[in-house]
Amino acid sequence: MRPGSGWWLLVPALLLLLAAFVLPVGMMVPMSFRPYVPLVGITDGFTVRYYTRLLTDSYYLEIIGRTLALGFTVTLSTLVIGYPVAFFLARTRSRWRNWLTILIVFPLMLNLVVRTFGWIALLAQNGLVNQALHALGIVDSPVKLLFNFAGLLIAMTHIFLPFMVLVLIGAIQNIPRDVEDAARVLGASWGSTFCRVTLPLSTPGILSGSILVFVLSISALVTPRLLGGPTYQVMSTLIFDEFLQRLNWPAGSAQALLLTIMVLTLVYLSGRLARRTGAGA
Amino acid sequence: MSGAAPALSVRRLRKSFGAVVAVDEVSLDAAPGEFLSLLGPSGCGKSTLLRMIAGLVEPDGGQVVLAGEDITRVAVHRRNLGLVFQSYALFPHMTVLENVAFGLRRRGVGEALLGPRVERMLELVRLGPLGARYPRELSGGQQQRVALARALVTEPGVLLLDEPLSNLDALLRDEMRVELKRLQERLGTTMIFVTHDQAEALILSDRVVVMERGRVEQVGRPEEVYRRPATPFVARFLGRANFLTGTVAGSEADRTVVALEGGDLSIVAGARPGLAPGQPVHAVIRQESIRLEPPGADAGANHFAATIVFHAFAGQAHHYVVQLANGRELEVATPGAAVPLARGARTFVAWRPDDVVLLPGGEPGPGGAR
Repeated sequence: MRPGSGWWLLVPALLLLLAAFVLPVGMMVPMSFRPYVPLVGITDGFTVRYYTRLLTDSYYLEIIGRTLALGFTVTLSTLVIGYPVAFFLARTRSRWRNWLTILIVFPLMLNLVVRTFGWIALLAQNGLVNQALHALGIVDSPVKLLFNFAGLLIAMTHIFLPFMVLVLIGAIQNIPRDVEDAARVLGASWGSTFCRVTLPLSTPGILSGSILVFVLSISALVTPRLLGGPTYQVMSTLIFDEFLQRLNWPAGSAQALLLTIMVLTLVYLSGRLARRTGAGA
Repeated sequence: MSGAAPALSVRRLRKSFGAVVAVDEVSLDAAPGEFLSLLGPSGCGKSTLLRMIAGLVEPDGGQVVLAGEDITRVAVHRRNLGLVFQSYALFPHMTVLENVAFGLRRRGVGEALLGPRVERMLELVRLGPLGARYPRELSGGQQQRVALARALVTEPGVLLLDEPLSNLDALLRDEMRVELKRLQERLGTTMIFVTHDQAEALILSDRVVVMERGRVEQVGRPEEVYRRPATPFVARFLGRANFLTGTVAGSEADRTVVALEGGDLSIVAGARPGLAPGQPVHAVIRQESIRLEPPGADAGANHFAATIVFHAFAGQAHHYVVQLANGRELEVATPGAAVPLARGARTFVAWRPDDVVLLPGGEPGPGGAR
């Protein structure tokens, strides 16, 4: 095959991307600058007020901050919980290995709404978690776990954990055992080998798993809507309401574009980071 | 090899993986400064033995003794051994300098002392100017030198090498052999070298340990294991040899006569006390021990008429297959400088009785008397 002659293989994917991503986003750009007049609709004209409002109004800033905070904490907790699991699954020679991997993936086969309702049942005022905490004497009055940050964090960590684990398993399996053995023979204890060899060499997996989970969690709609209720908003629920309830497409477009820019910036920065650490070698 | 306490001793080391016995009661000594090879086909247990010495595989039984100290239960990172892998196993996220400094840092060597030691070791393996490079920017041979430097800089009690030259191409492998041997002579490090390449083992080693199915078949200097193989396996594994089966027909003071299977030929070997007449034996004759002689030469012992049925030129040697009068075939190698004989040519083959190795044969052949 001539160098570069394989580009036509990308054509179907590029067409799909063009139709489903580039065109809609491109249409949102002019939309976001048009004034919306209540009871009249979208009018001709030019305004930047949806952007200034988004970046100055404390109500919107709080939602942006909350979305980012949720994204970071969900990513961090799936990483902290997922890494040991992935490490075990990547290294075990147990014959249960395949079953355990299926168990990790299994939640993905259940409908997202069903899983989210499961969490409502567990986290409600008189749900299973509060009953257990009360019965054990850990708390006197029920802890508020629904319609707030804690509830979203718990549920979204659970929902996005499989993605993190699957990406990490691949990355950890790619680390040659010889390299770790070499470190140990050279005098590094197990812990030292892990910190200086295994963990740095899993950086590519940690980065791609983190990007995946972060992007999924800041753009998640169903779980924040059901577990956050109508008042505890994140950016995706805000955009949803703007478009479908308030019918303010220009405002929704501005918010959606900001979310897209945030995601693209993050992907770009982590790509730079991956190259800097040189762990992709 | 006697006198000085061994640098490393292995005592009745055992390891099974499920029903497969990988290493079966192996005992060995390596003298200080010795280059000892573990030679055998893949799956003979040589790598498992090496990994047990390194502590990466836990033995089922037996002992590993390093400079008089039993280290069988000592953790890998406290053993003070060096290990060089076939895959090199360099740290891809560290520069050459950091790779080589790794072992010294783990031993708490201060940065002030560390720099010069790393530099000196890199000079020794001729990598001086490449310290800032990453492993992926080096050739295979250079990576192998980094692996050597990284293992040697900590001055390990024994350096273990697991097929370190197998991933290099032929030319580079020859170069690295010489370099490794000179490095070993210069530093005086005891080395245990695992290989499946008999030429490599013979060239490099002070002594060769030939292994098969988890057991030691023979230990000896390269000439010993090559010239005086103790078992049919060793004879087959090292060099090319002709195997003739027969029974001892007569044993005299200075020679042993063997009647070959089929009863049509007798060959003469050197004196071998302990072989009684009637004993089934394998007579092993190296292909380079057999001479091709023109007709009319002095007909002594082991002198037979033959026809060339195959000839190939291999640079250093001519390889022949010759057929004796009764259809029996022998492989013969003569120096490459000699004038070759054409296929179909009639000639005589001859070999000295002392070049025949007699190994007691377990089972008599179909025509063998017992």
